[in-house]
Amino acid sequence: MANTMLELTNIHKSFGDNQVLRGIDLVVDKGEVLAVLGPSGSGKSTMLRCINHLETIDKGDIHIKGQALVEGGVYVNEKRQREVLAATGMVFQQFNLFPHMTVLENLIEAPIYVKGVARDEAIKTAENLLAKVGLSEVRDRYPARLSGGQQQRVAIARALAMKPDILLFDEPTSALDPELTGEVLKTMRELAAEHMTMVVVTHEMAFAREAASRVIFMAGGVIVEENEPKAFFNNPKEERTKAFLRNML
Amino acid sequence: MEKLLDMTALICQGAVVTLEIFVITLLLSLPIGGLAALGRLSKFKPLSLLMEFYVWIMRGTPLMLQLLFVYFALPMVGIRLPDIAAALLAFVLNYAAYFAEIFRAGLQAIPRGQFEAAHVLGLPHWHTMKRIVFPQVLRIVLPPISNETINLIKDTSLIYILAMNDLLRVARTIVQREFDMTPFVIAGIFYLVMTAVLTWAFKKLEAYYGKYDA
Repeated sequence: MANTMLELTNIHKSFGDNQVLRGIDLVVDKGEVLAVLGPSGSGKSTMLRCINHLETIDKGDIHIKGQALVEGGVYVNEKRQREVLAATGMVFQQFNLFPHMTVLENLIEAPIYVKGVARDEAIKTAENLLAKVGLSEVRDRYPARLSGGQQQRVAIARALAMKPDILLFDEPTSALDPELTGEVLKTMRELAAEHMTMVVVTHEMAFAREAASRVIFMAGGVIVEENEPKAFFNNPKEERTKAFLRNML
Repeated sequence: MEKLLDMTALICQGAVVTLEIFVITLLLSLPIGGLAALGRLSKFKPLSLLMEFYVWIMRGTPLMLQLLFVYFALPMVGIRLPDIAAALLAFVLNYAAYFAEIFRAGLQAIPRGQFEAAHVLGLPHWHTMKRIVFPQVLRIVLPPISNETINLIKDTSLIYILAMNDLLRVARTIVQREFDMTPFVIAGIFYLVMTAVLTWAFKKLEAYYGKYDA
């Protein structure tokens, strides 16, 4: 149990009459890189957004590092939610950097105001993270002056600045021009190599195949198939998985 | 020449009244408008509906009518305000409604992703509003606020019907007494100078708060 980072139990979620998640069970262990594949509308982004309460589930349990966020569809109080969710970080499809703040200010805002880190220390951490994603030179620029790929790498650094134990990626390369996806995937591969626990909703088959430790395939609001990448891509068992892979590859 | 200086001195006194109304109205109606916008967007339905009603009344009737109402109708039900307070009440209520609509539009223009990014970083709601949302709203609302502010400086001339000696009324009094049109020209120049200063100031503000645009 000590190794379990994230546990979803029988998650149900509807938007009005539309049942988007119909009983999701999922366990993610420390150091795992889980790629979540599936056609659009399969519920994969919704599942990811339920993990950090960007969406509210109707039924089920979510535990993060063994601590309850929601049990039997009932959420813990707001203060407790913040404590539990502090273990998570997220990277969005649309980057969602704060446009009125420089890159550095984007990175130090939450560490200073949420964690109470001293400003000097926050700046030092931010500079190290920018060096890590290869963007030291854009430290004092505003996000609008950066390319999409640079913005997304800054967004990854911003998430890392909070020292999360598990990082959620919601189609991190889908809004990028094809020639810019490489630099973002490279950063993500480096994180995977460092054994960062990651849940990655993606359409990048190459990333899932090479960088993921496990792949799940979702369709119609359920997990249809799950396996380690090699077996998943070479010997898919379910008919829906086969059809999906035929279309993607 | 001496006559011209005398006229200008008198009109200057009127300009002081105009500026007084202008500054106080602006200082009060901006924060009230901001609060009204937050109320309008509140999830608490009665408050939201009340604010919608308020904006509807204030935007749906002439400012002149509102001035007359506060000045002449309220005393009939026993609410007697000093002249300047009556004028200010009408101006503040009216302008706060317009500002509320501007702020509402500005708040609604902030993408949901900004709130979500703040949420996943663990930033509390109020901090998100103060540090992430309001600075971006400010940039969006500055141009329409600038417009309304310039309207306000000209709208202050409506208080002439309340027999207060503002810029325009002083000018008109001299015109009627001397049968000389010069005071109107001087008044026009006063208004132009005031709006020019405002235009310049807002341009500076817009440049400052827009510095992060590509």
